Formats: sequence, C-alpha cells, structure tokens
Amino acid sequence: MTPTQASAGALDAGAEVLPREDFVVTTSTEPVAKRPARQRDHAAGFELSGPGTPLPALLSTLWRTRQVLFVLARKDFFARYRRTSLGLFWALGLPLIQAVVLTVVFTHVVRVGRVVQSVQGGHHFSYAVFIYSGIVGWSFFSTNMPGSATSVVDGSGLAGKIYFPRLMLPLLVVVTGLYPLIISLGVLFLLTLALQHSVGFEFLFVIPATVLVVGISAAFGIALSALHVYFRDVKFLVQAVMSVLFYATPIIYSLSNAPASIRPFISFGPMAGPIELFRMATVGADSAWPQAVAGGVVWFTVAMALGLYLHSRFDRVFVDRL
Amino acid sequence: MSTPVISLRGVGKRYIKYSDQPMLMTAALRWRQRTKRSELWAVRDVDFDVDEGESIGILGRNGAGKSTMLQMLAGVTAPSSGVVHVDGRVSPLISVGVGFHPELTGRENVYVNGTILGMPRKTIERRFDEIVAFAELENFIDTPVKFYSSGMFVRLGFSVAIEADPDILLVDEILAVGDFAFQLKCYERMQKIRERGTTVVVVSHNLGGLRTFCDRGIVFDHGRVVHDGSMFDAIGSYHQLLAVSEADASGDPTEQRQELGSVEIIESRLVDADGSPAAHVNAGDTLVVRATIRAGRDIERPFSGIIVSTDDRDICVYSDSNRNQPHPPLRAGEVQTYEARIPANFPTGSYTVKMSFHRHVDDYRTVPLGRTPPVSFYTTGRPLVGGLADLAAAFTATSATG
Repeated sequence: MTPTQASAGALDAGAEVLPREDFVVTTSTEPVAKRPARQRDHAAGFELSGPGTPLPALLSTLWRTRQVLFVLARKDFFARYRRTSLGLFWALGLPLIQAVVLTVVFTHVVRVGRVVQSVQGGHHFSYAVFIYSGIVGWSFFSTNMPGSATSVVDGSGLAGKIYFPRLMLPLLVVVTGLYPLIISLGVLFLLTLALQHSVGFEFLFVIPATVLVVGISAAFGIALSALHVYFRDVKFLVQAVMSVLFYATPIIYSLSNAPASIRPFISFGPMAGPIELFRMATVGADSAWPQAVAGGVVWFTVAMALGLYLHSRFDRVFVDRL
Repeated sequence: MSTPVISLRGVGKRYIKYSDQPMLMTAALRWRQRTKRSELWAVRDVDFDVDEGESIGILGRNGAGKSTMLQMLAGVTAPSSGVVHVDGRVSPLISVGVGFHPELTGRENVYVNGTILGMPRKTIERRFDEIVAFAELENFIDTPVKFYSSGMFVRLGFSVAIEADPDILLVDEILAVGDFAFQLKCYERMQKIRERGTTVVVVSHNLGGLRTFCDRGIVFDHGRVVHDGSMFDAIGSYHQLLAVSEADASGDPTEQRQELGSVEIIESRLVDADGSPAAHVNAGDTLVVRATIRAGRDIERPFSGIIVSTDDRDICVYSDSNRNQPHPPLRAGEVQTYEARIPANFPTGSYTVKMSFHRHVDDYRTVPLGRTPPVSFYTTGRPLVGGLADLAAAFTATSATG
C-alpha cells in the first residue's frame, strides 16, 4: 500500500480532513518494514501490585538501564559549559586557580603550616598540598550533596512520565560530579609534584580515597533523596549540616590538631576517612587514619542500607508525592 | 494468540490528600489529635486486557482518572490495589520539554532521549536519519533545542518515541500541539507500527483523531470504567457523560442569574427529530434544541437564538428568530417553551449548542436576557469535509470541449 492510499483509507473512516494537497503524507516508511520482526521485550515488562519493589529487581533494572546514567551524566556535565566562551577550560581552570590561591596564601601570607606540621610527625611537607588534598574530597561531597538530596523531587518532570529506578537520580548527580573530581585529581598530582618535588607510588592511594568519597556521597544521596520526598526540610538540613561539617572535618587542620576531647568525633566524621586517604597519597596521613577510614566505611554501610531500603519500599510511589 | 500485552485486575489507585504542611512541625503540634486524612480513589476496580497490536483510546472528563491510568501503564506509579501487568517495553510520548535539555542540540537530545526510552546507542545511530526526517528537522538538528518552537519539540519527541520501537506506545494528548499535517502523519505512522505488533494507548479529547485511529474505546468516569467496547460506542457513551454533567451544572444558581436574570431557564435539552435525546448524530440529521423558560418580568418583544460552537470554543454558527419571526410577548411569571430546529451540517467532531434569549428595545437595539447551559453532541460527518460547517454544496462537471 502506498502512503497516499493509506491516507485515503484513513479518510474513508470519517476523519475530519481538509482535502488539500500538502496534507497527503509522503514519508517513506520502507526502512521500518525492512526491520526484523518484533520480539516482545519481556525483560522490560513489569507487574505492579503494591508500592514495594523487591531490591534485587530494582538493582537489576538499574543495571539493565545503566547506560542512561552515563549518557545523562555526560550531557549534564558538558551542557554546563555551553555558551561560555572558554568552554571546558572552566572545568580545569577553577580547581587550578583554587590550587594557586591556596599555595600563595599559605606559603607567603598566612604561615600556619608549622602548627600543622609540628603534630604531623614533624616531617616537612607543603601546607598548600595538605589543604588541597582535603579540599578535593570535601568539595566533591559538599557540592554534590545538596543536589543529590533533592534529586528525586527535582527530577519529577521526567519521573512523572517515564519509569526508571529513582535511585538513578541521586546517582546521576554523583556520576556527573566524577568529571570535575577527575580533573581535580590531576591538579592535585601536579600540585604535589610542584611543591613536594616528588610523587611516589603512595599517590595510588587516591584510588581507595576516590572510591570511598564517591561511595559515601552516593549512599548519602540515595538515602536523603528518598527522605526529601516526604520531608522537604531535608534540603535545608543538608545545607546547615554542610556548613558545620566543613569545620568538623580535618580539611584545614590535621586530626591531631583537634583537642583530644573531640578528636574521636572528628575522626568519625563522614568525610574524615576519604580525606585521610587523600593525605596518605600526598603528604602522609595522620596516625589516627584507620579509625577515620573505618568510620567512613560504617557511614557508607548505614546510609546505603537505609537508602536502598527506602528506595525499594517507595520507588514506584515517590511520584505521588512530587 | 499470544498473551495480552497489558492486563489489569481490580486495579485501584488511592491518593491521600495531606494538608499543606504535613512535616514534622504539624506532626508535633497535632501529636494527640488524629490527623484527618482524606482519601481519593482516582481509579477504582479497573479490569481490562489489551492484546498485541490493539489501539485503544481512553476517554473521560477531566479528573476521571485517565492520567493516573496512563501513569500506571507507564509503570511510573504503582496501584494501591489490584495488579497491573505489562509484558513488554513501554515508551511514553514525553511531553513538550520534558527530557529535553535546552542547551543541547537536537542531535544530542535525540541520543539522550533515545537512551532514556531504552534504545541502545547502535540502534539510535542506525535510525538517526529516519528520526530526523520524520520530525522534518533536517535543517535544525544542530541547533540547541531551546530555539525550537513547541511544534518542533513535539515532532522531535514523537519521532524519537516512535523510533524507539516499543511494545507499547503511550500517547497523551500532546499530539494536539503539532500542526494538522503532522498529526495526520503521526496517526499514519502509529498505524504502521501497529502492523508490526506495537500496541498503542491514546488519551485524548480529540474525538475525531481517536475515532480515526482507535478500534476500541474505554470511557472512565470518576475512576471507574463505564464503557469498554468499540470506539464508536465509546464516543456516544462519553457524550452522555458530558450531557449529564452539563445538566448538573444547569442547577447552578449562578448560571441562571446571568444576563440580568429576567428569564429563568427551567429546562433545556437537545433531541433528535423523533424527540429522543441526541448525543450522537450523523451529518444532515435534524437537531432540535428545546428550552423552557419562565419570564421574570414582562417582556415585550422577545426573540431566541442558537449558537453552535466547536470543542475549542470557535463559534460555528449563530442564528436567531429576530424581527422576522417574532415570539409573542411574555408576562411576568409566564412559562414558555421555545424550539429551534437545525440540520446538523457539521464535519466530524464535538460541538456544543446553546440557546439564547434576547429582547428588542427597538428595531435596531437588542438586550440579552439569558442563555441555556451548553449541551454537547458529536457529529459523524461526511468524509472529506473540513472547516466549521458543511455547506453540502452540489458540484457538477460539464464538458466544454464542444
């Protein structure tokens, strides 16, 4: 049947159609016909009988649709630099400028390095590298946390139309954040090389450090994004906690600088573990690093368990409250 | 016969209306008193099966549960009771703007949207040219989509959704945005993919389109299925619903007080030539609008008129009795029945008809007195008639070659 005949057929059925030449459809549809016969995609089907989704089903759907995560993350990252004249330079430039400022300030203006060094086992290191290795992990956490906590609510436009595991929304924020993190790690490497004059195999500690900081951020994001749907206060709570946590995390000081009375709390902070691992890769970690890393693993486990529980329970009904 | 693609058993969806501040604050304040939760069943006790390759249209008034139904079929929300079983990949036509990133070009958005709809990258690459050609966006594909018109958005969205080659395509109203030629093209393409076994579910108020495309219509009212059968019957059933709801509305005192309140509409109805209520007529049939009014005061030179409008509120025709066929004067309290007969010479579609009452002040000036609530009807027109009214023109061809 030619397209013209097809449209004439539709008209006979009583369509309200103006008999004008340009309304006759002439699109070629051969390629569709050439496609192999359809196979029903049973794997994409679903059966819904209540709000809960079993966790294995949720995770297998997530795995099956993982490509979406990376396509969207790439889109989100690169779209940020659209219509800027310097483009991607900003992604590299910002951490670079930050590193230079830190170097200038802490080697020429504020010479607090000695205070930190005196308790860090006495060996000589660059305070700028010390701070920057703290900043790398912290800024990943602090810039992505607010966005991932509100991600399910923010994604309601798409989520109301099409199903995908809602877990994907907080994960998307974290995965998008990997791009600037990787750039920052490169800058950290250069900064260490420039100021410490040598980078050894210990720099490979950035790998477990990255894994831990990304894992904790993802776990927090998953848990908070679910809570935020029901308690919108979460958004502001996150902002409040972040400003406190900056000082309660050994970023500008070392764990050993903290008074003994509050040191256990600080070393148990969610970001203390990853930051100590970043230090280990560059200037050497504080002696209390094992507690800090263990604390990080505990935070990860608890938040992830809570997050996965909430998502498997409410995955298909979040949309009712958006 | 293969198993149904969609199967619903006893499906219900309950929404709980919370107050505006349900958070910790109110929970703490109302610790002792039970928070009142009002429930609303948006969809209730729905059972139906849809087979492979069927095309069903879902109809209903606003708030009848159509969108909730569509959300459940998309798997976006889970039912509160019953079971929704969907066997296959669902692709909703994503509404304008959703899922499109304004800063990215059309090309990039095709990849992003295609991926969201479950197309592997290879498939998108293979079908890319077709997607663009169908959307007629060859010249704009490398333009950021924020410069697109809403029609271009819809075209691209439809094109991607349909090339995603889903087992089930969900179409929500949005086709109304595209221009007429594109709508037709979409319906035709949907027809094509049905031949390959894709099931199509359409939610729309465009009855002409539904009737052309869908074999089966499901009518919802207050969350329940009130009709499940042929599309033709479904449209009739839908119009009955509309007629009922408008009869309810006519009990509304504000309606009666309008236009000076000097006439009170007691009853108005639309019947066919035999006097039975008309909701669905064929072109050329006679429609009779009958209204009974009570005069609130003496009216010297009353006259009546009728207005037929389309769904979109375009007025098709207005006609009145005017000076040439004057009605007798009315005394205060007098009850009078007026009737207007018109041939339903309209193209296929939904219309509403209203009767209006006026009086002459003198030979040139008139004052409106009142108007009946609109009554809707559906006309099945002759094929190939467009515009607002069917002129029923006669055409001849005479050879002039001698």
